[in-house]
Amino acid sequence: MDALTRRGRTLRVGITAVVGAVLLAGTLWGQDDHFPFGPFRMYAGSNPPNDPAPDTRVEAVDRTGAVIPLNQDNTGIRRAEIEGQQSRYAADPALLRQVADAYADRHPGSPELVEVRIVVRWYGVRDGRPTGTFVDETTVSWRAS
Amino acid sequence: MTFRTLPAAISRWLTEPVPRGRIAAFRTLVYLFVAADLVIFTPWVRHKTSISGELYQPLLVGRLLPLPTPNPVLVEVIFWVLLVLSLAAATGRAPRALGWPVFLLYFEWMIIAMSYGKVDHDRFAFLVALAVLPTAGRARHGDGVRTEAGGWALRVTQIAVVCTYFLAAWAKFRFGGIEWLTSSVLARAIIRRGTELADLIAQVPYLLIAAQFGIIAFELLSPLIFVVSARWRRAVVAFFYSFHLVTFATITISFAPHLVAMTSFLELERLRPVDRLVRWRARRSGGAVGSDRPATPRPGPELAGVAGGSAPTPPPEAPDAPPVQPSPAVP
Repeated sequence: MDALTRRGRTLRVGITAVVGAVLLAGTLWGQDDHFPFGPFRMYAGSNPPNDPAPDTRVEAVDRTGAVIPLNQDNTGIRRAEIEGQQSRYAADPALLRQVADAYADRHPGSPELVEVRIVVRWYGVRDGRPTGTFVDETTVSWRAS
Repeated sequence: MTFRTLPAAISRWLTEPVPRGRIAAFRTLVYLFVAADLVIFTPWVRHKTSISGELYQPLLVGRLLPLPTPNPVLVEVIFWVLLVLSLAAATGRAPRALGWPVFLLYFEWMIIAMSYGKVDHDRFAFLVALAVLPTAGRARHGDGVRTEAGGWALRVTQIAVVCTYFLAAWAKFRFGGIEWLTSSVLARAIIRRGTELADLIAQVPYLLIAAQFGIIAFELLSPLIFVVSARWRRAVVAFFYSFHLVTFATITISFAPHLVAMTSFLELERLRPVDRLVRWRARRSGGAVGSDRPATPRPGPELAGVAGGSAPTPPPEAPDAPPVQPSPAVP
């Protein structure tokens, strides 16, 4: 058997304890910023059973008037990344130009995008179940000047 | 057990030896997943070359080091170097010389991925596996000799897997409070990314609320996997996988890197897919079998207990029961 030396064993046990303590601290006090030791907060939020649920999308209008959904595949930007920086886009809508540029970079022959907007579709929820009803709200919009 | 023997017992548990063949198989699987992750599971990371640096919001580790703002050259260089090194590491050769660069480059790849406004929580255990595999020493497929360094590598990966569940419950109480249990969190998840199956499930009164109670119970009880018998441990691992199967079938979240890390609980050395294929082809062609080795390591004291088992430490290898001859880097 490959046995560890005393030093090797002590080192490993020590590393386990330190990394475990950092991870625990991250869970107790950390944020996503502390990746990879931040809290495992996927779906950890809590909303009352009757609160409407947001379904965010990004869409653009090109110079022909066509509406184009923008997503991870055609811009490289994930929906959750748009949501994660939504306050930045709201404070500075011109930042949406970067999304248009990312699309243009990946679609050099396509008509230019003249408008990009973040739309939130609010779905009705009752007793923790979707009701099937919704309303759309454009939360941020940018137009090429 | 007294307070004097407890640290020694924990130390033994953390470094409980496993067959080198298990490390070889885990290593191959983990490094192959790195390559697959680059091109199949998270190809969008490479697409960050299209995005202006203005949208880059570096994580704390990226600010501290400080890591450069991604640009097309940096992203392409990391992609190709990581792809080549991970495939080379999957052969099991040069575990340190290849393993450390793969860990560091994949970590940087993940920092790039998570620095645009969204952090994923599905790869802590996988990162732990990448960090510890270089310390597990040389290992060949089919080698039944047991290794304590390898045992530690698998054990801490297992702990990271369980932490991902247990600490997720903790995070739910921290961010959502006890009312998380009766909140509309699953309804929201289904609205945002639900499949047709999920839409059907969502219509059953109170089923989603019941599922939320079930999720918390499962996450809080997950550490029990370390104290149950080997037979039950297999059942618990199967339950973990089935949970992710349901999650994928309903809200299309795969947790793929976590699933790979979770194989640290399995007796991977028994699979030997290439070896089996070679033997099967040899049998079919009617020729001599290319190897007279069994497809799996000979059952012996070194295989007592399942991966991560708490079986008593087996006796030292008997001189009349030599380990199975390893095959050169063939899974």
